[in-house]
Amino acid sequence: MKQVIVHPERCVGCMQCMAACATAHSRSKNLFLATLERPLPKPRVHVGVGLYAEGFPNRCRHCDPAPCMRACLPGAISREPKTNTVLIDPDRCINCASCAMACPFGVIRYHPDLSAPKDKTVAVKCDNCLERQEQGLIPACVEVCKSGALTFEDPAQAMKRKTDEVSRTMSVQAQAISLSPGFDLLNAMKQRQTAMRAA
Amino acid sequence: MDHKDKTITEDGWLLLKKAEQDGIETVWDRYGAQLPQCGYCEMGLSCRVCAMGPCRVDPFGEGPQRGVCGADGDIIVARNLCRMIAAGAAAHSDHGRDLVEVLAQVAEGKAPGYAIRDPEKLRNVSKEYGLATEGKEDRSLAGELAKAMEEEYGTRKRCLTLVNRAPAKRRQVWEKTGILPRGIDRETSETMHRTHMGVDNGWQSLLLHGMRNALSDGWGGSMIATEVSDILFGTPQPSANSVNVGVLKEDEVNIIVHGHNPVVSEMILLACGSPELQQLAREKGAKGINLAGLCCTGNELLMRHGIPMAGNHLMTELVIATGAVEMMLVDYQCIMPSLGTVASCYHTQMISTSDKARFPGMVHHEFHPENAQEKAKELVSQAIENFQNRGHVYIPVAPVPSLGGFSVEAIVKALGGTPAPLVEAIKAGKIRGAAGVVGCNNPKIKHDYAHVTLTKRLIENDILVVDTGCAAIANAKAGFKVAESIRYAGPGLKEVCGSLVVPPVLHMGSCVDNVRILVLASALADALGTDISDLPLAGAAPEWYSEKAVSIGTYCVASGIYTVLGPMPPITGSMNVVKLLTEGLEGVVGATFAVEPDPEKAALLIRSHIEKKRKGLGLDTREV
Repeated sequence: MKQVIVHPERCVGCMQCMAACATAHSRSKNLFLATLERPLPKPRVHVGVGLYAEGFPNRCRHCDPAPCMRACLPGAISREPKTNTVLIDPDRCINCASCAMACPFGVIRYHPDLSAPKDKTVAVKCDNCLERQEQGLIPACVEVCKSGALTFEDPAQAMKRKTDEVSRTMSVQAQAISLSPGFDLLNAMKQRQTAMRAA
Repeated sequence: MDHKDKTITEDGWLLLKKAEQDGIETVWDRYGAQLPQCGYCEMGLSCRVCAMGPCRVDPFGEGPQRGVCGADGDIIVARNLCRMIAAGAAAHSDHGRDLVEVLAQVAEGKAPGYAIRDPEKLRNVSKEYGLATEGKEDRSLAGELAKAMEEEYGTRKRCLTLVNRAPAKRRQVWEKTGILPRGIDRETSETMHRTHMGVDNGWQSLLLHGMRNALSDGWGGSMIATEVSDILFGTPQPSANSVNVGVLKEDEVNIIVHGHNPVVSEMILLACGSPELQQLAREKGAKGINLAGLCCTGNELLMRHGIPMAGNHLMTELVIATGAVEMMLVDYQCIMPSLGTVASCYHTQMISTSDKARFPGMVHHEFHPENAQEKAKELVSQAIENFQNRGHVYIPVAPVPSLGGFSVEAIVKALGGTPAPLVEAIKAGKIRGAAGVVGCNNPKIKHDYAHVTLTKRLIENDILVVDTGCAAIANAKAGFKVAESIRYAGPGLKEVCGSLVVPPVLHMGSCVDNVRILVLASALADALGTDISDLPLAGAAPEWYSEKAVSIGTYCVASGIYTVLGPMPPITGSMNVVKLLTEGLEGVVGATFAVEPDPEKAALLIRSHIEKKRKGLGLDTREV
């Protein structure tokens, strides 16, 4: 079964996944019109900042067992078995933030949403773009990611690729394999800039 | 981010704390909110040139490798970089044009308050333009010179006039490479043409033209800006001043000028000195009128009149947070559009003055040569009226004394009328060489840390430092610019500066005044009968942020000066471009760029370079 997989070493921090996610969860499904909608659509993937100002696309891991689901007293959180997606029912949500306390990744937000009753603040997080998947589309964040930091694939396949990459670096003759010399150079400079702050 | 990690300056720390209490958002807050910044843009791999796009190239090689038009990473990076150069060159050169227009109006007698304050320079520059000067009145000569300079902006020339100031060998390099700048606006215009979709798609030829465009700034627009400023307002001579937020006064009306062009700030200075307005200030309960500068228009006044300097780029918001500023007048460039919002928390009146620069939260009073003197009086009197509206005032530090005003003319005069003593000191190895430490502030680098650390390491290793712009203000605040600061210098530099009674760090002016460094470098090259690229010289922009800095860095390298940048420019998307700029240019113009954010390491790069050049000249060398 295909899932969204995050490859943090490839995130360039452009935040296009965030804009695409908000758009995918809008009424119009159009970036420009979506910015005019009320409630304003908001992203469910969140690009955070690393130690050296590098990006990290943080999203719901759809854990199993899911701590948020166990913490939810009204039983608003459930699992959709076909896609292994943890979903929040906005009608049942009581906006108590218990799920946020339980979530190890900090990927739940609270705000009014198109899916919720009007003006009701509810817990909102990644829904694996089930609506898009039903239409034969891949999740919006993956579709816009051009650097390969987000992929939609069988986890076993992704892990196999990573296993191979790691194995190559284990060879006696191995040089460190650079995914992109230019990106490495940029990051080296950013790391030096950050290190200097402590000087 | 902790305040101590944002800046090394005490006034910065204390005012950051005050700004936080007052609920003021600063440039560091906005920088934090922008993180992570878009990697495509940081690498120069995003292209917004046309409407088939916008496009980006995946640096990992799996996603798109070409824009819709077919441009690859090399082309996109080169186009983007050239457009940065064009914007920087345009900014400097348009600043120069405004001065030429004032010169023309002075000639017509239509600019009350302005005058020819350095007739000798007017005559010297006119001669360079091939004008007959004998028996001509200053005003009529000024009119002819203004006209000749206006021609420099056009397309009718094979080569700009002031290029003749460069050593003959350097001009041959430019001629051979096909990068002699022909017209100031022409080269910028051609950059915009070449970078349009479907024009120049050779990344090498694009970058060559980028150098030509930068040269049209360094040996054209900026040089005209500096020379005409000297003609109109006087060529700087060494004078004492003081720096940091402590220059503001609790018991006086504080007026700040911020921006770049001396056209407005000189008139404000004139008005501040008027006896009626001084009297009005006393009537309103103030002891006087205190004019201070920020950024480069401040540097222009500091260089020529010893006007105090309140701070550099990253201090501009914090200066307002003192609550002690009655009025800030801005012209253009590097003025953060946030300033109006900051000022709205205090009594500070914000005034924009240029027909081409408007800002939210500022009142617009347009200055033109014909009305500037009157406007200045009107606004200074308005600032005085505002003194009574002051709330709590917080000026937490005492100012630092400093010495400014080192034009090339002043340096040569200090040397006894000829650059020979400097050349001798370099030959003898007392002074290993010279470095220009220039450029901006950037919240990516701890404020002033890179400028001050690099400068300290250079002077303690007997390298004379000349500085301009925000770097010059940083070094002045650090206390490097009084005669006693030779204590920071190595023994050789200490001896030479001590005997001349000059600091080891010479303030050469604003950012357009980087051309003074080009003129000085040319004089040294001529004295040694060689090219600039053979000299033990280097440039550094340790905290640069602006497009103007890209143009400056490029004209320095194209003029033969090895230049070390602090922050990485957006070029890592093309290792071909990186290699050309950091290695390949050596074989083209005899100098390259280097990038090194850590000033300790940058100092080593510069020292090694200088020792290498000394070796080339057959002089003694030191291990680095």
